[in-house]
Amino acid sequence: MNLFEVSGSTTAAFWAASALAIGAAVMVVTVKNVFRASIFLAFSFIGVAGLYFVLSAEFIGIVQILVYVGAVSVLVAFAVMLVRDVSGGNRSIGKPVVALVIAALVGASLIFVAYETSWQRIDDIANADAVAGLAGTYVGSDAPGLPSGESIVSAAGADALGAQRGVFADTTGVIGTLLIKDFLLAFEIIGMVLTAALIGALAIMRERRTT
Amino acid sequence: MTLENVLLVSAVLFAIGLYGVLSRRNAVTVLMSLELMFNGVVVAAVAFSRFTPVAGLVDGAGPVTTQGLRLALTGQVFAVFIIAVAAAEVALGLALVLALFRHRQSVEVTEAATMRN
Repeated sequence: MNLFEVSGSTTAAFWAASALAIGAAVMVVTVKNVFRASIFLAFSFIGVAGLYFVLSAEFIGIVQILVYVGAVSVLVAFAVMLVRDVSGGNRSIGKPVVALVIAALVGASLIFVAYETSWQRIDDIANADAVAGLAGTYVGSDAPGLPSGESIVSAAGADALGAQRGVFADTTGVIGTLLIKDFLLAFEIIGMVLTAALIGALAIMRERRTT
Repeated sequence: MTLENVLLVSAVLFAIGLYGVLSRRNAVTVLMSLELMFNGVVVAAVAFSRFTPVAGLVDGAGPVTTQGLRLALTGQVFAVFIIAVAAAEVALGLALVLALFRHRQSVEVTEAATMRN
């Protein structure tokens, strides 16, 4: 089964998830009531999570539901209720038409690029040497930093599970290994960023309370 | 479902979020629209990860090499990082909104032109 061939039911699920994500997103920016906007935001997140599942990115889908639907939506709804500016508080600026034109232009140019770029020519690199060149190593040998003989998944296991269904096998394990090996510095920095952001959020809140 | 279709959805989500950021007055709604823009970007990253031409998976012949799988899943690692940054951003942004509300009894971004007291 070809990786790029997608079954009809998968395509239907893709468009359903897209309709949920985009429809709810439109409601977020148009509905008057801010609290309802936050609820529609949660629905949009669920639609995007469905998109991740359709794209065979199960781990990202679960993270989306945990972080966005679970935490961010609740945090936003909490903020909406705290500022007590719920109904009729979602006015637009003086000239929303200007914003609409700018957003439409940016969106149209993005869509133009997506459809005009010949991704098929990029598909031509689908041979082992080109992929190994992009990855910086050759298939037959290990990465320079890796101890000899070490591999993330066994080629046989990936063959049995992945190639038959045309999807990746065991994405979560490989993502975890990538995070603590290839992207270790970025992983540590993101931990620092999260800690600093949360401490900063607490500091901002506390300063206003004591003054 | 082709790569172009997924990128279309991603661009539409991004544009809707951009419209919300530019047009809304309520700072909380601006943050919500910002999250929509983040989601559009993550959808694009995951789509590129899904449609990365990995030797062995493209033709279904296998075996999939470790390097190929790593290359393909780098897009999903990017998605994890973007989600983490977005979570930090929304926590900090909502703290700023609440501080602004305590200070001015209003969360309209048009009235928040200055950071001084």
